[in-house]
Amino acid sequence: MTVYGVWVINKAGGLIFQRNYGAGIAQLSSNEYLVMAGTLHGVHAITSRIAPVPKSSGVQIIEAESFKMTIHMTLTGIKFVLISSVDMANAESILQKIYEAYADAVMKNPFYTLEMPINASGFDVRMNAIVAAAGP
Amino acid sequence: MSRLTITSSSTSAIPNPQAPPPPSKQRQSSYIASQLTNLSISSAPPPPPPLTSIVDRPVNRMRGAEVGMAAWAFLYSGIVAYSQSRVDSVVELEKRLASLGREAGQRIIALQMLRNTQTANLKDPKREHRLIPILQYIHTQIYRYCFGKAADGLEKSVDGDDEYMLTSNQPPLTQHISTPRDLSQLSVEAYTAGLVEGVLDGLEIPARVTAHTVPTDQYPNRTVILIKLDQVVMDREAGLGK
Repeated sequence: MTVYGVWVINKAGGLIFQRNYGAGIAQLSSNEYLVMAGTLHGVHAITSRIAPVPKSSGVQIIEAESFKMTIHMTLTGIKFVLISSVDMANAESILQKIYEAYADAVMKNPFYTLEMPINASGFDVRMNAIVAAAGP
Repeated sequence: MSRLTITSSSTSAIPNPQAPPPPSKQRQSSYIASQLTNLSISSAPPPPPPLTSIVDRPVNRMRGAEVGMAAWAFLYSGIVAYSQSRVDSVVELEKRLASLGREAGQRIIALQMLRNTQTANLKDPKREHRLIPILQYIHTQIYRYCFGKAADGLEKSVDGDDEYMLTSNQPPLTQHISTPRDLSQLSVEAYTAGLVEGVLDGLEIPARVTAHTVPTDQYPNRTVILIKLDQVVMDREAGLGK
């Protein structure tokens, strides 16, 4: 039950927030993270297009042997990605809490420019609290 | 086949001498407007909107008329962003926010006075006139009306008899705002300072009110509203005696 990392991807596919929590995850360069976020954005678009029924959501969970990625897309097109251990049962509810923190600490912050990288200290504080509450 | 369609759609942008000239922008917009009116005429007439403008609402009803804190905080964020785009310096921004707060404060005190009179059904309206009860009134009633809870502290400054401090450990209005490092001098609570100044002004207490962020480990957004009273107030208080 460990959270390894959190990404926030804006509706154009740009990575606007990325943090690693704990030491379990590989450290990549910021450029690599940007490329991966863009790729994930593309994969999400593809998966929603190839769905057999119309208006299907895109990919929601990508699972590997040692970790899983849970993706939550909001109605406004922002994607929250949680990278966690496979046994993470309440990943969806954690993503909801992250969305709530985003709505509070980012959208109600007059010094934030829409679609730009998030560097509000209040958001980091809220994120640390959410991750700490999620498990060791 | 599809390629042909693409070509034809792209050539249609070039003006064709045989085709009628494209309507000018103004004509186009008036054409759209006439289309819209046609639409509204063809559809069933909408029901008349309910007559509840702000002047039709009862003045003294407060329960159920509150605004959500999230909406208020979001609106304030918009106010700060708007104000910031129109100023060059932090001092100017604070001044602008304070003047907006002042406008609000002057109206709030008038409204509160009216409501107090109406709800208590008093023949003669009660109005505080001494300094300490006025400050307590702001600390409790005005803060509760504006932010949903009373301020956390009201203290007299150690520096001078004419200085008082209203403390909020976590100001609800600005709790989500993280001030960037290059604007560290700014206190977004300048609005509250202006509001308090407006209220004091309405109660005949001229004062200079400023907001200062004084963070503690537990409360990173702790704000002190510093009230520096005018000499007139001090003289009057001295004259009125105990």
